[in-house]
Amino acid sequence: MIKLLSLELYKIFKRPRTFISFGLVTAIALVIQLAMTAGGKDFLSFGMQGITEQFDVNGNILNGYLVAYLILQSLLIHIPLLIALVAGDTLAGEANMGTLRLVLTRPVSRSELVLVKFMASIIYSLLLIIWLAAVALLLSIVLFGTGDMINMKSETFILLLKNDIPWRYFAAFGFASLAMSSIVSLAMFLSAFAENAIGPIVATMGIVVVLTILSNLELPLFNLIKPYLFTTHMIGWKGFFDDPVPYAAITRSAGVLLSYTAGLLLATILYFNKKDIQS
Amino acid sequence: MIRKKLTTLLALLALATAAQAQTADELFATVRTKVLQVKDYVADVNMKIDVAFMQVPMLKGKLYYKAPDKMKLERNGGISILPRKNINMTLSNLIPTGKVTVIDMGNTTLKDKKLRLLKVVPDEDNNGIVLTKMWLDEKELLVTHTETTTFNDGTVIMDLDYKNYNKYGLPDKVKIFMDLKEYKLPKGVTMDYNDVLEKTDKDKTAKKQKGTIEIKYLNYTINKGIPDAIFAAAKKGSE
Repeated sequence: MIKLLSLELYKIFKRPRTFISFGLVTAIALVIQLAMTAGGKDFLSFGMQGITEQFDVNGNILNGYLVAYLILQSLLIHIPLLIALVAGDTLAGEANMGTLRLVLTRPVSRSELVLVKFMASIIYSLLLIIWLAAVALLLSIVLFGTGDMINMKSETFILLLKNDIPWRYFAAFGFASLAMSSIVSLAMFLSAFAENAIGPIVATMGIVVVLTILSNLELPLFNLIKPYLFTTHMIGWKGFFDDPVPYAAITRSAGVLLSYTAGLLLATILYFNKKDIQS
Repeated sequence: MIRKKLTTLLALLALATAAQAQTADELFATVRTKVLQVKDYVADVNMKIDVAFMQVPMLKGKLYYKAPDKMKLERNGGISILPRKNINMTLSNLIPTGKVTVIDMGNTTLKDKKLRLLKVVPDEDNNGIVLTKMWLDEKELLVTHTETTTFNDGTVIMDLDYKNYNKYGLPDKVKIFMDLKEYKLPKGVTMDYNDVLEKTDKDKTAKKQKGTIEIKYLNYTINKGIPDAIFAAAKKGSE
């Protein structure tokens, strides 16, 4: 199993396109950091207008913690798309290259193969999130320093004390990893149906984009389905920046995401076991 | 005979009223002088902000004040939050200066304390203050409660508790009740997480437009002089 896993990881990381994701994350983070260096104070004064009309807020507001939060918020949609690039390719890519049948001639069950490919994709997404943490958080701290962090919600202004922030980022990245596992299982599920990687990658991106829009639209009709959409729960990492932290909501979101992950993975295994593999 | 008695009674009443009005003026002037004797101070403070749309932990820091209106909260490199200039947390900014009309409202009881109530109306524009109602402890010459109506910032109510710095009229604890405007950002921009799932108690009351700020002064260093540069740094930081 470990040998098979290392083989799958080798397949993922030997492809140059795998590293496009790391490059894109770096580029987006750097662009936002550059923009914040140039016009961050104007951006903040616009966002904080409702507060500064009534209160004087002083200190290093534009610090690394806030910039990292803004980067993470901007990458809400992008990271799932980058993960779909790899996870959507796992089964369909092999089918397209005609190597799937060859792989299955070895003494490994179809279920094991799906599980190993799932684990390899999870490792890839974890590495991407660790990289994101490095460029978004650590680099922002180097560039902007640390300090208390403000979090502006639509109806609430939150101030978090400097010493109370690092654990929140740790938990937020952990939750983001969980959210990405649901993307991995969705992309793999769609990949099992296809003979070409482009289809599942584009379909995953499309589903994420459409459901994200539905999750953010303020219409009564969509409010009914929002709690059941995984995209609603993918932003659960933001809950760690509330005060008090809404643990019940975060636990519920984690449950929904785990259910999606497990359900889609199981569906992939069931379908793949019955699939007539011709290439 | 009856007319003569009535005239005498009215004359005495008028004299008594005039005497009390003078006393009210004097009382206000004495208290104002006492409050204004503090030219500057530095105090270690614990500040608790209880505003419906704000979730702010207890802020500990050093509060710098320099008359007439300079104030800065320093939090060892952290973010500090203070009410805007007009809703100043210092009593001296809520007591009108210059020419005023003082109306004596007589004695009243507040929190089991017998106090003298004065209404003070500035004769000219005075820091946006329209009217200040002051509940005074005549014996100690301390203001224990104020209600100040301003042009732009609604009514600011202050409760003041004294213990160690009565001599300077500086409180050990102040509770400020403020009128606040609503705070709102577009949801499409903020992408709130628990919006549709769960709201905290504070979120549910977010539309209430009242707030309180409680400051505990742990100690004071009074009238030792504070350079203006300290406040300039605060202004620069907020830009």
